[in-house]
Formats: sequence, structure tokens, C-alpha cells
Amino acid sequence: MPKIDFKGISKTFGTNTVIRRFNATVEDGEFLVLLGPSGCGKSTLLRMIAGLAEISGGEMLFDGKLANDWTPKQRGVAFVFQSYALYPHMTVRSNIAFPLVMDHFRKWHHIPIVNTIHRWQVMKRPEVKAAVDKMAEQLELTPLLDRRPGSLSGGQRQRVALARSLVRDPSLYLLDEPLSNLDAKLRTQMRSEITTLHQKVKKTFVYVTHDQVEAMTMATRIVVMNGGTIQQIGTPDEIYDEPANTFVAKFVGAPPMNLLPVQLNGKDLTAGEGITWTHSGQKPVGETKAIFGIRPEKLELRPEKAGRLPARVAVIERLGAETIMGCRLGLADAGDSISTEDLVFVRMPGHPGLSHGDACSLDYADEDACWFDKPTGQRIASRHDDTRVAAIA
Amino acid sequence: MKTNPLFVLLRVILIAVLVTFAGFPIYWMATTALGTDTQLFNTGQVPYPQLSNLPDLFSALAEVPILRWMSNTAIIALGNTFLSLMLGSVLGYALSRFKFHGRGAIGFLMFMTQVIPEALLVVPLYAMFISLGLLNSLWGVILANVGFSLPVAAFILKGAIDAIPYEIEESAIIDGCPRLGILSFIVFPLIAPSLAAAAVICFFGGWNEFLFAVTFLMDPDLWPAAVGLASFIGEYETPLSAVMGTALMFSIPAVVFFLLVQRKIVAGLTSGAVKG
Repeated sequence: MPKIDFKGISKTFGTNTVIRRFNATVEDGEFLVLLGPSGCGKSTLLRMIAGLAEISGGEMLFDGKLANDWTPKQRGVAFVFQSYALYPHMTVRSNIAFPLVMDHFRKWHHIPIVNTIHRWQVMKRPEVKAAVDKMAEQLELTPLLDRRPGSLSGGQRQRVALARSLVRDPSLYLLDEPLSNLDAKLRTQMRSEITTLHQKVKKTFVYVTHDQVEAMTMATRIVVMNGGTIQQIGTPDEIYDEPANTFVAKFVGAPPMNLLPVQLNGKDLTAGEGITWTHSGQKPVGETKAIFGIRPEKLELRPEKAGRLPARVAVIERLGAETIMGCRLGLADAGDSISTEDLVFVRMPGHPGLSHGDACSLDYADEDACWFDKPTGQRIASRHDDTRVAAIA
Repeated sequence: MKTNPLFVLLRVILIAVLVTFAGFPIYWMATTALGTDTQLFNTGQVPYPQLSNLPDLFSALAEVPILRWMSNTAIIALGNTFLSLMLGSVLGYALSRFKFHGRGAIGFLMFMTQVIPEALLVVPLYAMFISLGLLNSLWGVILANVGFSLPVAAFILKGAIDAIPYEIEESAIIDGCPRLGILSFIVFPLIAPSLAAAAVICFFGGWNEFLFAVTFLMDPDLWPAAVGLASFIGEYETPLSAVMGTALMFSIPAVVFFLLVQRKIVAGLTSGAVKG
């Protein structure tokens, strides 16, 4: 299994740089997820790993060997495309067997009729037949082997694409948003199947997605990207609990972390709405302005005047087992505003029994607050230890 | 939805009219071939085929080297089709998949070949063929035809290749398929309808070849059927029944070829026109 090292990798299209100085390592057997919004360069990076896109600068090492100019075949990778990229004129059996047929390819097989005979002969070989049957059984495709991709459902096509990539037993699996074309239910099912598959084959997976739920549930490590640069690398827990900057804080989590620009004055914090409250926990040292962040589930909804932050209910989303509530800080009536930009979200179990426009208050445990630098958006410190964050006596 | 019977009747009538309109020239050819010269030139043509005249038609056709002419026509048509499809598919693939300087200019020049009338090129081609030794050779006629058929084939195939998602080819690359293998394993099977459509156009271009053949081929043994038919027209006599009998035989292989590939043609000509 290869360990992949990226050393200052960059990619440009003309004058447009889509990936800038990418430095990271993909360890053996890990499930690495490249997470970011559309256009952040994550798919381009995956294509560079596969050898489908040229590397404009930097070095890519496979087990310490420079692999910048290796062909896709030399890299020994499997690639699952967003659109599955199945061969529509071939049956499921032929699709799965295609990589094995290509292993026996010779130059004279370029001749159209000869290659058809060759493919037929290779597919009749016992070892190829056994490999295809085994893979079909593993992914529950046996009854579909003689059908064409056009007659399959999205989930079945997805499984055929996986089977085709698995059949050659590659050392590295690259998956480019493979679940984005599936409905919500099937997506959840396939998510579990891919995670189980990873645990079973114990190979390296690099998975591209813009869906943070997929990233959080499947990854052993996540690389959050934006604008062609790495924003943060870490385990799902690290990414969620200790976001490196406001982008990560906003991108990961649904609803995202609440970020409030505040003025610091001793123990007092004043938010833009003119609301002042006392924060006894850690705060940035030597700063008068900062961004206060707190996850929605860390906020507590309390009766009016019982919590430190007065608020009024603006949005209620009932999800069954839990409720997400959007509150506008302060008790002033928001009128007809439908903007959600200024809302503070609270996630709580059950249903609080409040309705739109009701006055309430919010509170939190001081140690759950995160701090970000106002001009740069960078995390000022880890919640637990840093010299720039200190408790004010 | 239930179809209105009146609508069905109207449709049947319309189809019958169109079939009659399209089929009448062939019927008239058969009637003329089975007529006698006396009827044709003096008393007027009988409007139905006179099967009693079949022996006369056969004896007239026996004097015509029709098999040789038809085989020459077939060589020109199949040669033109094979060369145009072979080169056109590679050219269409390159124009569809590769971005290079001058791609637009190549497309423009290819279109220009369709604007220039064939007759304009006869003299320069004649001069070129003398120096290349291609005069009085079927190869010369095939090459001259390929010059006109190739751009059409390339454009039809380019449109079809444009409609194939590039990810399918990338998937084949990942599976270890070489670039040329992608053409034979993936692209050609997927563009089969367009290949059939291009084949029909190239085949009929070669099958109906007359101008280049009548100019470049001096040896009667190399004449295709179209030139042979024209040679019947004499100063004092034109054996019309033999002309029509030969023309009828000349048409049959073309009709058969068309019937073989017709199903694929419509799909081929419209491929890429709508999102699939």
C-alpha cells in the first residue's frame, strides 16, 4: 500500500492557480477525505493523484518515489467517478471484467474484431470469471450481471463502479463525490457500505466530497480545502471541536458554528447588537476585538432573563428527535426580516414548546467558547492551552 | 392515450402518397426496361411492366460488362467509405478531445471543401494525378472522393464523440486501456449509429461517382457503372431498355446497403443534438 507525500503541489490552468503549495501526507490504510466547497480544487487534486491531470509544480511521492510523471496504470489506483463512468455498451459483467481484460492487452488487440475476440476469450478464463463472480457476490450484483448500466438504478450503478474498481485489487482507492447523484436514503446506505468496505479491504482511500456529513462519518482524517489551499488537516473530532479558522467553523457542522464579532472589555463581551454579557472563561489576551464562536449544541435555551444572552425566536426546525432553533439576539422585534445571516442557532433534544417571536434567553458553559482573530479569521488558540488565551481573574 | 382513427387514416394516406412519390421513378425504370424501342420511340410507353419482354432485356444486358462496372463502382464506394471512416474517426476524435492551436482553422478548411464545386478541382487534380501516377487508376478516383467525404464523416463523428462523457474515457485509462484501445473498445461501439450514418454518406458519394471517374479513367475496364451508363448514349441510337435495365441493377446494391444500416442512421445523424 503506498504512502503518498505531497510536497508543495500546485496546479495552474493558464494564469489561474487552482491549487497552491499543497503539503500533506496520506498514510497507509487511512480513509482521507478532501472536504471543501465547489471549485476549491479537491477534485483536481484527486485527478492529479490518479495521473489524469498534470502536476504544475511540486513533488508527489508514492512510497518515497517521485511519481509526478507516472501513468495512471503505473500508479495502480482505482477511481470511482461522480457519474460512475460505466461503459454503457457493455454488460455489468463486462464492466467489472474490463480492468482484468486490459491486464492481458497486447498491441495487436487494437484491431477492432480481434479485440472483441480477445475480450471474449479473456472473460472466459476461469480466474477472470471467478474474480468477477466473487466481486459481484460481495456487492450483491450477481442477479444483474447480464444487464446493461442503462437498466440499473443509481445505487446499483454505484455498486458496479465500486466492483470495477475493486476487482483488480489496487492499493489506492480514489473516490470523487461518488454519492452525490443518489437520493438521501440511498446515500446513507452507501456511506455505510463504503465505510465497511474500507474496514474490510484495509486499503488507502482518498475520498472527495463537499458534504461535511459524509466527511465526518466516513473519514479517519479530513483535509478541509478552500480556494486551492489547505485550511485544516485533522481527525473529524479535531476538525469539529477545534476548527482552525472561521471558514472551517462555518463549513463543518449543520447548522454551522455561531460566530459573533465581539468587543472585549475585561470580563464583559459586547456583540454588534449592543448586547453585553459576562464571560468568565478564557479570552484572548491583549485584544479588544475578536470573534466569539460556539457550536449550536453547546448553547442552552432558557426562559426569558434566565440566561446571559437575551433573544427572540425567529426560526424553528423540528427534526423529530431534536429541534434546531434560530434566535435573533436582543429582544427587539425583527419585523418582516427573513434573513438568517444574523441568527444564532441552538440545537436541542426534543421540542422546547416555544413558537416564532417568543422571547427567551441563551446561555453556555464558558469552556465551550472558541476564539478567532477578527482580521484574519484564524483560531486564536486551542480551547485548552495557549498563551494568547488566558482566564481573566 | 388513445389515438384518433381519423388521424391514423390521414397518416396512412400521407405515407402512401410519399411511398408512391418516392417509388415511382423505380417503377418507371422497370417499365421502361421491359418496353420495346418501338413503343418507347413511336407508339408511346406502356404504363406497366411487360414481363414477356424479359428475354429481350436479358439478351441486351448480356452484351453489357455490367459486373465489371459494378465491381469498379463497389471498389470506389467501399474504398471511399473505408478510408473516410478510418481517417474521419481519428480526425473527429482529435477535433473533439484535443485542444490545439489551429483547431478552428482546420474546421473552417474542412467546411470549405463542401463549398467548392467538384468541377473546379478537376483540372488541378488531373495535373497532380499525372505527376503522382494516379491517372487511369481507381485509387486516384477513390482519393479524390475521400477529399470530399472525409470532412463530412469527420464532422458527423466529432459530434457523436462530443456527446460521450470524457469521464468514460478517463475511466478506461485508469483501467489500463491505451489511447488507441479507447477508440476501439469504448468510442467506436458508442458512436456506432454515427459511424453508420457517415458510412451511408461516404458510400453513396462513391457509388454515384461520375465526374472524376469520367475524367480520370480512360480505360473502359476501369469505368464504374455511372460512366458505363453514360457511354450508352450514342449519336444515332440510345438503347433505352438496356440503359434502364442496367440502371435498375445499379440501384439495387445501394438500396440493400441503405436498408442494412438505415435503423442506425437517424440516431447517428441526431446524436449530440439533444442532451441524453
